[in-house]
Amino acid sequence: MRRIGRWLLAVLIGGWLPVLLITWWWNASADSTDPFFPPLHAIWEQFQYNWIWQFWGIHVMPTLQNLIVGFLIAVVIAIPLGVVVGSSRTTATYVEPVVDFIRSIPPVALVPIFILLLGLDSSMRIASITFAASFPILLNTIEGVRATNVVLLDTAMVFRLTRNQILWRVRLPNAMPTVFAGLQVGFQIAFIVAIASEILGSGFGLGAFTLIATDSFMILDAWTGVMLLGILGYVLNLVFDVVERISLRWYFGQRKLV
Amino acid sequence: MTTAAISIRDVRMDYPTPDGVKHVLGGISYDVTEGHYVSIVGPSGVGKTTLLRLLTGLAQPTAGEIIVAGKRLSGAPEGLAVVLQDYTRSLMPWLTVERNIALPLRNEKISKANVRQRVKESLTEVGLEGSERAYPWQLSGGMQQRVSIARALAVRPRILVMDEPFASVDAQTRFDLEDLVLKVRADFGITTLMVTHDIDEATYLSDDVVVLYGKPATVSDIVSIDLAFPRSQVETRNDHRFAQMRTRIYEKVRGLS
Repeated sequence: MRRIGRWLLAVLIGGWLPVLLITWWWNASADSTDPFFPPLHAIWEQFQYNWIWQFWGIHVMPTLQNLIVGFLIAVVIAIPLGVVVGSSRTTATYVEPVVDFIRSIPPVALVPIFILLLGLDSSMRIASITFAASFPILLNTIEGVRATNVVLLDTAMVFRLTRNQILWRVRLPNAMPTVFAGLQVGFQIAFIVAIASEILGSGFGLGAFTLIATDSFMILDAWTGVMLLGILGYVLNLVFDVVERISLRWYFGQRKLV
Repeated sequence: MTTAAISIRDVRMDYPTPDGVKHVLGGISYDVTEGHYVSIVGPSGVGKTTLLRLLTGLAQPTAGEIIVAGKRLSGAPEGLAVVLQDYTRSLMPWLTVERNIALPLRNEKISKANVRQRVKESLTEVGLEGSERAYPWQLSGGMQQRVSIARALAVRPRILVMDEPFASVDAQTRFDLEDLVLKVRADFGITTLMVTHDIDEATYLSDDVVVLYGKPATVSDIVSIDLAFPRSQVETRNDHRFAQMRTRIYEKVRGLS
């Protein structure tokens, strides 16, 4: 009961400003005749028509599919690689300068290169997403695995845990909070690249939809696209937070006490 | 004849530093009698922790050797357990108390039920029965150090090595933990080596106190603490011989005699 109360309070505290802003927007734009700033109620009507569920299959599913597939491939590549690099100083000295250089290139700028290499189908989009999302995950995994504190490792060694046990039962769990931070940043970048990769050379997907709508003066549609992007980004981030809080309960519990 | 559980033979340890080689340990020799409680004291930076790392097999001496159970030490020996000063960093925060204690038992071929039994016994020994499902960070510092001790006991060690085990807890908890260690000792007779900077504590707990002194460090004194067991915080510490021994150790640690 008290937990529900506290949750309700948090929603109220966090929610009043958005509610205020939306109300203001709704009223201020109600009589708007400006074609670029249509009334919010018109956008909302169009939003319902477009996304529940008229264009969901054509425009939302491809974007989400690319995003999730690309992100998962990045996870599968970057975490093991990060563990290898993070566990060995020598490997790190060789690999890190290269990684630092490549990650400094804005990922969106690489989309044209991927188009040249892979053409315009979804493999190009997935490759761009994977590429962009890999770096934060890789760097954080390296950092997390490397930063295992010496006392913990000493203890594990004196108690004669094997190398494998130290990796799986000490280094990896210890790295998880850092890895998770990397996953979250990687996912945000993946989302950006997923949309950006559709702006170039695609007829499907949320990015393509919004761009085409803008180019064809379908301003209402463009607004609904932007709105859905915002909502999707927010919800996906929320899902991430929840997964993180559940799987790293020990970490958040410990931090709350310190 | 008593046998040596650990035999330290002319152990030297050098570290390379930018200003040349630093000689930390300059020929340490000492035999730890089976079942004895031995404290290693000395001024800060004398190399106590270095010696402890050698004893646990975490580092190899530059020269000399350490013999445990008739074998020359290379890597962590079987039957040795540690309790370190920094309990917040030596217990795994992502594991419950039970899983922390069970972790070193993974490589022993014992059934799950047996593991659970051992965890339970160890927790009871340290006075934390029923704390299996707590996380270490939910416990007080003293309780966390008890968990460390329980984890060490669960492997049924022949040798227990402790590095400043009571340095990070408050005075009251410290006395409690000291008496806990005495009780464990009376119950199991584990050969124990403790590094400490606290001379009173060393005197109170030990059979022998080894004083390290000098650069490089050598054994400057070995003080036999022939105070009767069981010891008590009040009576033992008020014994005039306690005062004499702690004075002698103090002077050696300070390089006064």
